[in-house]
Amino acid sequence: MSLRAKLFLLVGGVATVTIVGATWVVSSIARRSFAALDAQRTATLAVQVRREFDREGIQIADRIARIAASDAVARIAAGAERSHGDLARYVNEAPPLAAAHGLDLLEFVAADGVIVSSAHWPARFGYREAWIDSVPRDRAFMHAVELPQERSLALIAVAGVPAAPRGLVVVGGRRIDAGFLRLLPLPAGMRLLLYRNVDPEIARQDLVDASGVTPPAAPLEPLIARVRDTRREVTETIDWPDGPETLAAAPLETPRGDVIAVMLVGSSGRELVALLSRIRWTGVAAGALAIVAAFALSYVAASTVTRPVEELARGARAVAAGDWNVSVDAADATGEVADLARAFETMTAQLVDQRERLVQAERVAAWRELARRLAHELKNPLFPLRLTVDNLRRAKTLSTVEFDEMFDESLGTLSQGLTNLTNVVGRFNDFSKMPPPLVERVAINELIERTLGLFRAQIEAGDRPRIEVALALDPSTPVVSVDPEQFGRALQNLIVNAIDAMPAGGRLTLRTASVAAHVRIDVSDTGEGLTDEERTRLFTPYYTSKPHGTGLGLAIVQAVVADHHGRITVESVRGRGTTFVIELAPAPESS
Amino acid sequence: MTRFKFAPCAIASAAFAMLTPGLRAARPQYGGTLVVQSEAVVRSVEPTIVDGDSDSAQARMSALLFEPLVAIDGLGGLRPALATAWERDARFVRWRFQLRTPVMLHDRTSLDAARVAAALAARERAWRVVSDGDSVIVDLDRPNAELPWVLADGTHGIAIRAEGGALVGSGPFRLDRFDASRVLLRAHDDYWGGRAFVDAVQIEQGRQARAAVASIEAGRADFAAVSPTDVRRLADRGLRTVSSRPMASYVLIFEPHRAQSADDEFRAAVAAAVDGATLSSVWLQRQAEPADGLLPAWISGYAPLLRREQPRVAAVSTTVRRSLIVRIDTADALAKTIADRLVADGRERRLDIAVQTPNGLAPRPDARLVRVPVHATTPGRALALAMQTLGGRAVGLLTNDAPPPIDAPLDSVLRLERTLLQYNVIIPVVHVDDVYGLGDRVESWNEAPVSPSGGWNIASLWLRGERPSPR
Repeated sequence: MSLRAKLFLLVGGVATVTIVGATWVVSSIARRSFAALDAQRTATLAVQVRREFDREGIQIADRIARIAASDAVARIAAGAERSHGDLARYVNEAPPLAAAHGLDLLEFVAADGVIVSSAHWPARFGYREAWIDSVPRDRAFMHAVELPQERSLALIAVAGVPAAPRGLVVVGGRRIDAGFLRLLPLPAGMRLLLYRNVDPEIARQDLVDASGVTPPAAPLEPLIARVRDTRREVTETIDWPDGPETLAAAPLETPRGDVIAVMLVGSSGRELVALLSRIRWTGVAAGALAIVAAFALSYVAASTVTRPVEELARGARAVAAGDWNVSVDAADATGEVADLARAFETMTAQLVDQRERLVQAERVAAWRELARRLAHELKNPLFPLRLTVDNLRRAKTLSTVEFDEMFDESLGTLSQGLTNLTNVVGRFNDFSKMPPPLVERVAINELIERTLGLFRAQIEAGDRPRIEVALALDPSTPVVSVDPEQFGRALQNLIVNAIDAMPAGGRLTLRTASVAAHVRIDVSDTGEGLTDEERTRLFTPYYTSKPHGTGLGLAIVQAVVADHHGRITVESVRGRGTTFVIELAPAPESS
Repeated sequence: MTRFKFAPCAIASAAFAMLTPGLRAARPQYGGTLVVQSEAVVRSVEPTIVDGDSDSAQARMSALLFEPLVAIDGLGGLRPALATAWERDARFVRWRFQLRTPVMLHDRTSLDAARVAAALAARERAWRVVSDGDSVIVDLDRPNAELPWVLADGTHGIAIRAEGGALVGSGPFRLDRFDASRVLLRAHDDYWGGRAFVDAVQIEQGRQARAAVASIEAGRADFAAVSPTDVRRLADRGLRTVSSRPMASYVLIFEPHRAQSADDEFRAAVAAAVDGATLSSVWLQRQAEPADGLLPAWISGYAPLLRREQPRVAAVSTTVRRSLIVRIDTADALAKTIADRLVADGRERRLDIAVQTPNGLAPRPDARLVRVPVHATTPGRALALAMQTLGGRAVGLLTNDAPPPIDAPLDSVLRLERTLLQYNVIIPVVHVDDVYGLGDRVESWNEAPVSPSGGWNIASLWLRGERPSPR
C-alpha cells in the first residue's frame, strides 16, 4: 500500500472515528438530558393536573353552594313544603339548572335521600342516594355516579338548601371522563389517561384517554395495580413499540379513602427517540460529509506530502535502473521532505562521482588484470621460445648433424610456441570482437540436445569418473529468438564449466521450463560449489579458478546472454553444486 | 228488552262542566277555524276502512263526519247517537234501533232507516239488517250482548252513499277538503244536535307531539295531541291539557330466545323491577296508570285481580343472566321515556337493561317495548285487538294458539292473557292516556273536548274572540 493511500486512510479513519464518537457523545448527552427533562415535565404536569382537580373542585363546590342558595331552589323547597312531600312536580327542575350552571351532574335529593330531580338521569326519580349522608359538604370529592349507560366517575359537591326546613340537598358536579381530560391543557407529546377503578378486576374498557378511545392497556395494568394496592403515586417508564413513555400514575380517592380512579400522566419518549434519531442521522449526514471532506483533504494533503516522496522513489528507481543522472523535482517539498530531496540529490551526485571513480578504478584494474593475463599468457609461450633461441645460439657450437637435429627440433618448438601465442591473441581478439547476434527462431530444447551431443564422447570416456547426464526439457517450452551459434557456444562454456566442476564425477542436469512468461534454462552440476568470492567475481573477464583457464568463458556467456536481452544468474550451495540459470524472452509470434 | 237511560249522559256533562271551570268561563261564540294538529296521517275518513296504525285517529276524525247509532258518553257508558233507543230479544240475536228523526245528512237529504240499514249491511256482511219504519232491525249470526258497544267503537259510523258516489254522514262536520297533510271540515249547519260553534276545523296531519306543544304555545294550533311528559310544561305556561282515560298500553314483550323457561326467574325479576306507579305518577305526570294487564282497568275491570296474581320475587339468583336489551320504536318518544325509567328500575335491582333504538341493522334484542292502543269499547274486543297488535309471534310464545279473532269469547281471550302474564312473557308497564293540549283561545261548552274513550268532542269547542263567518 502506498504512502499516499496509508495517509489517506489514516486521516479519513481518524476523521470518521472522531465524528462517530462525537455523534455518540452528543446522542448520549441528549438522551440523558431529555430523560431528565422528560421526568421533570411529567412531574410538573402531574402537579398541574392535581391543581386542576383542586381548582375544578373548588369551582364545583362554589357552584353547588350558589345553586343551593338560589331563588329557583328556594322556590322548589317552598313548593315541596306546601305540597307536603309531593315532589313529583319538580322532576324536571334539575336539567335546566344544570345546563345553566355548566354542570354535567345535578340532583335535588330530599332529606331521606330520595331523588327529587336528576339532570344526568332524570328517570331515576324516586330512588335513593344512600351515600348522601356520609359525604363531606365543605368540599368536592370523587364519586362513582350512576348514569343510564354506565357508572361514571365524577367530581361532585353536596350542599344543603338553607330555605328547606325539611331538608333538601343539591348534589352536582362534573364527569371525570374523556371530556374532562380534553379540558386539561397538555404539552405536545404528553397525554392523560384515566382508569376508572369501578370493577374488582382491572378491566381494559375502564381505561380511557382524552379522545375517548380505550388505549392499549396491557402494559399499563401492572402500574395501575401498584397504584391501586399502594394508594401512592408511582412513576414508571414503559417501553411501547414506538418508543418509551414515562408515566406518573396517581390515585384519586373517595372521601372514605377508596381508590376510585387512577390518573396517568404520560410523557412520550417518542419525541426523544425522534430527536435522537434526528441527531444520529444529522451526525451521520454531517459525518458522511465530513468524512468525504476529510478524505478529500487527506488526499490533497497526502498528495502534497507524498509527491516529493514519490519523486524521490522514482529517482531511486531510476538510480537503481542505472540512470545516475536522474534529478528529483522537489520544488514543492518543505521541511524534512525537502531535506530528504536535497540529500537524495547529493547522494546521486556522490554516487555518480564514486561510480566514475570506480569505473576508473575498474578500468585501471581491468587493464592491470589484462596486462597481468597478457603477461601470464604470453610469458608461458615466450619462455620456451627464449630457451629454444638460447639453445639454437648454443647449438652453433654443435656439429652440423646435431645442429640440424637441434635446429629442426627448435623450429618445431618455435612454431608450436608461435601457434600458442597466436591462439592466445586470437582468444583475446575473439573476446574483444564478439559480433552482434544473428537471431532466428530456435527450439531451445533441440539446441540444448545438439550442444550436449558434442560432449557425449568426452563424458562417456572411460578414463574419467562417471558423469551422469540428466535432461529435463519441458516440451511446452516456447521457441526463442537467439543466434544459435553464439548461444550454442555459451551453452558449451556452461557445460564445460560443469564438467570441470565435477572432477570426481557427478550429475549434470539440463532443464528447461516456461516460467512467468520467460524461458528458463538451468545447467546444474553437483560439484563443490562456489565460494562467495567466486560467485561475486564469476562473470568478471579473465577471472578463473581453474589452473589453465583464461577467465573469459563465463564472461563470454554473460555477454551472449546480455546480447540476447536475457539474464544469467548463479545459484550455488557450497558442497552441493552450482546451477546457472538463463532467462530468455520467448520469441514473438512469427508473422 | 232494556232501554238506554239518558241520565248518565246528563250527569256526566254536568259534572265535567263543574270540574272544568276554566272551560266554562265565558259564553260560547260562533265562528273561526279550529286548528288541530295530529301526529297520525289518516288516508281515508271512511269509517269502514281500517288504516293500520292511524286507525284511532281515523276513528276520531270519522266520528266527526259519520255518526254511529250509539256512542260512548263522558263516563264511558253508552249514549244515544243516531238511535234514540234500542232493544233486544232475550237471546241477544235480534236488535231493534229506533232512529232519531229528523236527521239531515251533509247533502241536505234526510236520513231514513232504509239508508241506515243499507249502510250497516254493507259494513257487516254477516248481519241481516232491515228497516222497519223508523227502526232498524239487526239479526246477528250469533248472540252478542255487547252489540251497542260494538256499534259505538268508531268504525260503525253511518256513511251513506250519495247519488254522486260520495259518502255523506250526519255528523256535526262535513268534509270540505282532504289531502295527506291537511283535512278541512266545515260545520254542518243542519246538524240535529245544533250547529258546531266553529265554522271549520283544519286538521294538520303528521305533526310530531313535540312540535305540537310548541305550536300550542305559539298559538299556531288550538287542539293537539301532546305527550304526557309535556303536561307540566304546558301548565307552567298557563295552558290547559285534557286527557282521555288510558287509551294505550306499553308492554314489554320478550323475544322467543328469552321467553324460555330458563329465563323465568329473570323475567320475574324484570317484572318485579318495573315501577309503574312512579313512572305513571311522576314521569308521566299522572297521565297514566300502572299496568297489571294488557287492558286498562277502566275497560277490563279485572286488572286488580291480575295484580294480585303476580308472584313476588325477592332477588334474582346470581346465576341468571342479568342483561336485557330492549328495542323500542325510534319514532315513539314516549316509549323512549318509559324505557329510560325501565333502565333505572333495572339498575336498582342490579339488572343491566339497555335500550336499543335501531335505525338500521342492530343486534337481536331480548325484548321489545310495544305500544298497544285500545281500540274497542268492550273488554273482549279490546283484548282481542291488543292480541292482534302484539301479533301471533307473541301469542305463540307460550301457546299454540293463533291470536283470537275480534269476536272471540272474553273468557278465552282472558285465559290467554293470564297465561302470557303468568310467565312474564309479556310484562305490562303502564296504560297511558291520550293527552291533548288546548290553545289559549279554545273554550268548551258542556262537554269535555276529549271523551273518556278518546273521542274528539270538537263540536262543543268554541274560539274566544272569533266572529261567525257569513253563511
